[in-house]
Amino acid sequence: MSNDFILDIRNVTKRFPGVVALDDVSIKIKRGEIHGICGENGAGKSTLMMILKGVHPWGSYEGQIFYDDHELKLEDRSIRQASEEGIAIVYQELTLVPNMTVGENVFLGREPRTKTGINWNKLYSDTQKILDKYHLDIDANALVKNLGVGKMQMTEIAKALSENAKILILDEPTSALSEEEIVHLMEILKTLKSHGVTCIYITHKLSELFRITDTVTVLRDGRVITTQPIDKLTEDALISHMVGRKIKERFPKGNRKPGKEILRVEDLRAVDPDDNSREVIKGASFNLREGEILGIAGLMGSGRTELVSTLFGEYGRITSGKIYLDDQEVKIDSANHSMRLGISLVPEDRKKYGLVLIQDIQKNISLANLDKFSKWFKIDFNAEIKKTSEFAEKLEIKAPNLFVACQTLSGGNQQKVVIAKWLMSEPRVLIMDDPTRGIDVGAKYEIYKLMNDLAENGIAIIMISSELEEVIGMSDRIMVMSAGKSRGILEPKDFDQEKIMAMATGY
Amino acid sequence: MSETITYLKQQVRKNIQTYAIILAMIVIWILFSFLTEGRYIGAQNISNLFRQMVITSFLAIGMVLVMVTGNIDLSVGKLAGFVSVVVAQFQANIWFHYIPNRELLTTVFSVLIGIAVGTIFEVLQGYLISYLHIPAFIVTLGGQWALNGGIMIITEGKTIPANQPLFSVIAQGYLSPNIGWVFAGVVILFMVFSTLQGRRNKIKYGFKPLPMLIEVLRLIALAALIVIYVAIVNNYNGVQIPVMLLAITAVIMSYVSTNTPVGRYAYAIGGNREAARLSGVNISKNVFNIFVLMGLMSGISGVVLASYVGYGTIAAGQGYELDAIASTVLGGTSTLGGIGTIFGAIIGSLIIASLTSGLQMMNVPAAWQYVLKGIVLVVAVYADVYLKKNR
Repeated sequence: MSNDFILDIRNVTKRFPGVVALDDVSIKIKRGEIHGICGENGAGKSTLMMILKGVHPWGSYEGQIFYDDHELKLEDRSIRQASEEGIAIVYQELTLVPNMTVGENVFLGREPRTKTGINWNKLYSDTQKILDKYHLDIDANALVKNLGVGKMQMTEIAKALSENAKILILDEPTSALSEEEIVHLMEILKTLKSHGVTCIYITHKLSELFRITDTVTVLRDGRVITTQPIDKLTEDALISHMVGRKIKERFPKGNRKPGKEILRVEDLRAVDPDDNSREVIKGASFNLREGEILGIAGLMGSGRTELVSTLFGEYGRITSGKIYLDDQEVKIDSANHSMRLGISLVPEDRKKYGLVLIQDIQKNISLANLDKFSKWFKIDFNAEIKKTSEFAEKLEIKAPNLFVACQTLSGGNQQKVVIAKWLMSEPRVLIMDDPTRGIDVGAKYEIYKLMNDLAENGIAIIMISSELEEVIGMSDRIMVMSAGKSRGILEPKDFDQEKIMAMATGY
Repeated sequence: MSETITYLKQQVRKNIQTYAIILAMIVIWILFSFLTEGRYIGAQNISNLFRQMVITSFLAIGMVLVMVTGNIDLSVGKLAGFVSVVVAQFQANIWFHYIPNRELLTTVFSVLIGIAVGTIFEVLQGYLISYLHIPAFIVTLGGQWALNGGIMIITEGKTIPANQPLFSVIAQGYLSPNIGWVFAGVVILFMVFSTLQGRRNKIKYGFKPLPMLIEVLRLIALAALIVIYVAIVNNYNGVQIPVMLLAITAVIMSYVSTNTPVGRYAYAIGGNREAARLSGVNISKNVFNIFVLMGLMSGISGVVLASYVGYGTIAAGQGYELDAIASTVLGGTSTLGGIGTIFGAIIGSLIIASLTSGLQMMNVPAAWQYVLKGIVLVVAVYADVYLKKNR
């Protein structure tokens, strides 16, 4: 076989009881290229990764994988074997130990030894060498918990590279990064490429494929739809490959007619509840009208999440400023209070804040609304099932039934469960914190449509988003935040990526 | 018919853990029956076995919910012990002075005081844990020490008798065979009634109820178990009153855990505290409630303990909390929170009692009983981990 290809996946089929996760998948990956893999959730990307990582060992799938001219035979759950072969994975959810330094994390489990213990000098100097070689701008002695998400990811990459990785697999690497950090990551990937490291880049974000990859493979329903050089593809072509149908526009145009003002925030300031000296919101003012989608743009750490969770009564301690609901001043002190006032929050990071993953769909949806079905301390199960299935159908949650654990659902469906929970509480103001992070194009589209529906029915929506295109595509007005302050509200005529970035980065 | 089989298959897969532990229990029974030439399975031993598990079972019932919220309670053994010596003190030295010769009244008062002491203590601990955010491990460890001191103060190192006949009935009494059968009949009727009620409700909401065949099979199986049990114990002294109390408590608490918001919130809090909080669940209040329930259970357990042994001593309740924790864990409760059932804990408790009783019958020295029980606990939990991984 030709030596041009470092990884040659031939006719791999992986079956799970009742499902074919990968169906006769063949992908060839050239040495030294950045190979993008995209597809909707459930397309088979993660199963493929699990095979390359050894979670699904050799023998549990059909077909062959050739790596560097020999067949890759990973044993059961031997992740170390994959890294010894030179295959390293940077996960979507970072896997670092927060209370250890960058150096300790990089060499975790492989610490250089002296006769009696760990050779700390060698550990740190080796770490520094790797950081220097690939232009990773981090301090080897810094504690990981003090780093931003971007630098944590660099640490993770350094860890992979320290194991002499020949193939680096990045799984949704930018889902938690700000625009600035993404630019930085792209630089790093280029450096890696110049050092001959092959990258497999898995993402939902099409723009990134065009920015960085050489070749793209599209997966759908466990099959390879196409593998093509990126310069032969267009964004529209990619989307239609991914979803198997043409999506005319990424952001459905709603017929929203904003009505009267419902919520007004005036010069709100708040401090971290655990540290009164740290001001997290340093003056935010905006208003929100019925039936409107107000986008909040800003970098990570700009105070956007802090602002909405303070509004929801669950985070900051308000030091000054006022919140008016229907022209009445309100002081919201808990999530429960907020819900009773008709304000609901779809929190960021659905796994951490949105769902009880071990519980089923029904229990998750009804959690915030149990009093609707309870009489005399008793839950009426039938009423509960009836109401939850109504919402599950309305939101088109795809699952065999309502009694499967949420951890088995795809990201898009998990997000729908969280949204269903909050819709059931019949909010007048729905705050959505990065509602489409890490979910695929098709599911995103469905969520956008849903947002339009809700707004058309008079619900006021606040949407935080890390993707500028999304904020611009979906909002009636955009509030830009930076450094804990609201920097102004833009009307549609001023919607412009550069303008927003300028406001978001200006201090 | 095929529908029935699919349903049964589904149920088996869903509750594989529960069935596995029931199977383990049956294996233990068969094993000991052989080793003791059938004495183990005799009416007298079965009767005693179930009676012996009662005290820790009450604690285990409360412990399941505490552990489901992601907490732990190390004080409950000593709390039951403390309750038992308080009750014994009232029985031996106080009623006699104020209301002599009023046995019914003093018994009722003793029970109420016992339950109140248990509940009040857990109200205090629950407050420290849920509102002042002191870790449960620490609060209840401190509580255990304090209670130990309390027991010493009350007993002054002596044994306090608590053996008035009526009070002793609570843990030592039996229903006469005929009343036992009436009780069994009432329970079976109740099951039939609630099954029919459930079906009617489902139909009212437009849902398809389970095939009648399944419901009938289920009812027959449960009824058969009850009939067999009553028949066996009637061969000895009759249905044991403490076992009856335990069964009633377990059914009520099981209902609380699955059919009420209090229970539902407990599972949500243990499953993901942050998600529960952001869903408007008042974490402090709900965790507090669960500790109060734990106190109620500890109070009942302490009263039964005093009645069972007939006196209060300095060693009362020693180590019961760990038996209770072991029972819950054997019964499938996760030490990380969010998972666990009361039924499982009762079975877990029965397994521990079965082991103890069997080993005692075989005259295994106490030291080796501990070693074997330790091994069984760890192996059982490993089997559980293994089952989960390879399902």
